[in-house]
Amino acid sequence: MRVWDRLSLQARLGLLYAVLLIFSVVLVGCYSYWNIWQLFISNKSSHLRAQAKPIIEHWLIDNDLAKPDNPHLKLTHQNAFILARDLTSRNTVAIVLSRKGDIIANGKRLPEEPEAPIPDKQYFRRALSGENEVTYRSQVNGKPVLVMLIPLRPQPASSQIFGVIQISTLLTDIKEILFRHGAMLVSLVAIILILGIVTGFWLIGVSLKDLQGLLTSCHQISKGNFSQWVPVKNRRDEIGQLATSFNQMLEKLEATFASQQRFVVNAAHELMTPLTGLRGSLEVLLRGAQDDPSAMARLSKGMYKEVNRLIRLCEQLLGLSQLESSSNVHKQPIILSDFFNEFKADAQVLAGGRSLAIQQGPYVKVSADPDLLKQILFNLLSNALRYSPTETPVVIRWKLLPKQVEIQVSDQGQGMDAETLSHIFEPFYQGKATVVSGDKGIGLGLSLTKSMVEAHEGTIRIESEPGKGTTVSFTLPLE
Amino acid sequence: MSMDKNNKIKILVIEDDPVITDFLCTGLKYEGYEVTSRTAGKAGLDALQQTTFDLIILDVMLPDIDGFEVCRRIRDRGSDIPILILTVKKEISDRVKGLDSGADDYLTKHFSFDELLARIRALLRRRGKISKNRKLQADAIVLNLETREVSRKGKRIDLTPTEFGLLELFMRHPHRVFTRETLLNRVLGYDYDGGTNIIDVHISHLRNKLGDRPPRLIRTIYAVGYAFYPEETGT
Repeated sequence: MRVWDRLSLQARLGLLYAVLLIFSVVLVGCYSYWNIWQLFISNKSSHLRAQAKPIIEHWLIDNDLAKPDNPHLKLTHQNAFILARDLTSRNTVAIVLSRKGDIIANGKRLPEEPEAPIPDKQYFRRALSGENEVTYRSQVNGKPVLVMLIPLRPQPASSQIFGVIQISTLLTDIKEILFRHGAMLVSLVAIILILGIVTGFWLIGVSLKDLQGLLTSCHQISKGNFSQWVPVKNRRDEIGQLATSFNQMLEKLEATFASQQRFVVNAAHELMTPLTGLRGSLEVLLRGAQDDPSAMARLSKGMYKEVNRLIRLCEQLLGLSQLESSSNVHKQPIILSDFFNEFKADAQVLAGGRSLAIQQGPYVKVSADPDLLKQILFNLLSNALRYSPTETPVVIRWKLLPKQVEIQVSDQGQGMDAETLSHIFEPFYQGKATVVSGDKGIGLGLSLTKSMVEAHEGTIRIESEPGKGTTVSFTLPLE
Repeated sequence: MSMDKNNKIKILVIEDDPVITDFLCTGLKYEGYEVTSRTAGKAGLDALQQTTFDLIILDVMLPDIDGFEVCRRIRDRGSDIPILILTVKKEISDRVKGLDSGADDYLTKHFSFDELLARIRALLRRRGKISKNRKLQADAIVLNLETREVSRKGKRIDLTPTEFGLLELFMRHPHRVFTRETLLNRVLGYDYDGGTNIIDVHISHLRNKLGDRPPRLIRTIYAVGYAFYPEETGT
């Protein structure tokens, strides 16, 4: 089985095909051989009967034995010999048997006439019981013979059987014909097999050629060459379908790779700005600004900010990668009103002196990770605070939808245009909006938030109008 | 290239990142430039109309209009002021875009400050804002920056690279007091780990080779470091 597994697909299919072909051709050959043999035998026996029948009838009439209910029905050596002699020829010999099974007369006189086989008792009884032609094969001196037993009766269908004639004929001529026929059959089978196996292997090779192409492409791709597509050639069979879905997979892989690459480039750029600030500040300090306490203080503060920005960036990058695995999301039932009562204090700290309203909605129990939910709200809240004037309020509210709850964070800030909205969830994308209060973000907040919402099987959407404000709505599943 | 205090070279920095702006301004001021900074493109263009500058350091990513656009508008006004663009992106297309829009040179962010200074000097030299003469001169001391030859009163002096670096630093910034730490960083590199005493050794060698006797050209400032006082300016 191991060797079988190691064979190529072409070899395996080819072998299976060859075995099947050999089996079926040999079966057909054997059947046809047997069939012809049967045909010859039945032909021979009907020939024998046709020869014997008129001779027996004449013999019955000649010896006054053809009368019905003849009480003198009797076989004598004399009349029996006449019959046996009449029925014997070059290939055929007849013997006449009494009811007891004794040989009364044997037709063989000349040496070239064949020997008669010894009567078989079983067939003899069948003939005696009235069966008209008992035919069977036997052997005399190693030569095949066909034996026919004919019961002797005064008239057809009479039950008075007074003896049995055994006619036997040599089958050597049939054997000869059959042997020639068999040889022809064997050579025919051989030719069919060779042709069949050769064309079979060729056909399998042709069908598998495209598979080979697919394999070559796979090798190329595994080396990182994604532009190597599999040729499809408008095929609709399994290989065509395979190639098509393979190409679709490639396209998807390529896109994923590209976006991954874009993400890495963006992340590196985003790291580069604070690093440039750090390096430049350090260089300026080392070049002599360290001797000036005010420059030292200013640059150190700047560097501290940059380091914090780097840490924040790294944290968010880690957060994004952690959300990729659902095992990091620990959902539990949360009563929303209780959650917000607790959240209010933290949110107020974030808002500073700004007006923040949490409008209590209906009593609902959601299934969520409380830490992630808190982070989602913090992210949305700090965005709202960052891009809206200090005197305007930020409002959090929720409402019940079928099977889920929708939480909204709205501000009355500068809003976004459609162009910005269409890119807003892309990692590192930052709109043109000016920061009203707080630091400039990194551009990961919303894509992180989206991932967190999606980790809860929720959805997030943003409605915004430039100059009027922005409302971010996200859904959470009910418990 | 000692310059008149009233005739400092003026640089405009247009950059929105506060930390980068801060170190650029501080560092450039220490190098003797007069620096003005703006955090947005339009504000930068306004500043250009009010004052004349000798050079602009321009960030590509600005909150209102991008650096390329700022560059184009400056050139449209017919100004040929040298512009040095700062970009994060390393792609060639971005560099080409920068140079096509009229910038003279570009630096990718994470640039070293030394490189920035060298590019600024090169740009200024090309526009004739500073002398093309690659020699520093003070108190009969001539320092040739190209051949790295030094002479005093016509007599040739052989200096080690460290001594040459010290003398060049002093002559570029007369009267400025350098701490030993700063001298160490500037001459031996930021990653030199040894103590600052080595500077005293090098200064002593330098003084001997220059034949510097009291009142000295290179003076020890007690508890601080050293400063260079050429004779014609007096004490």
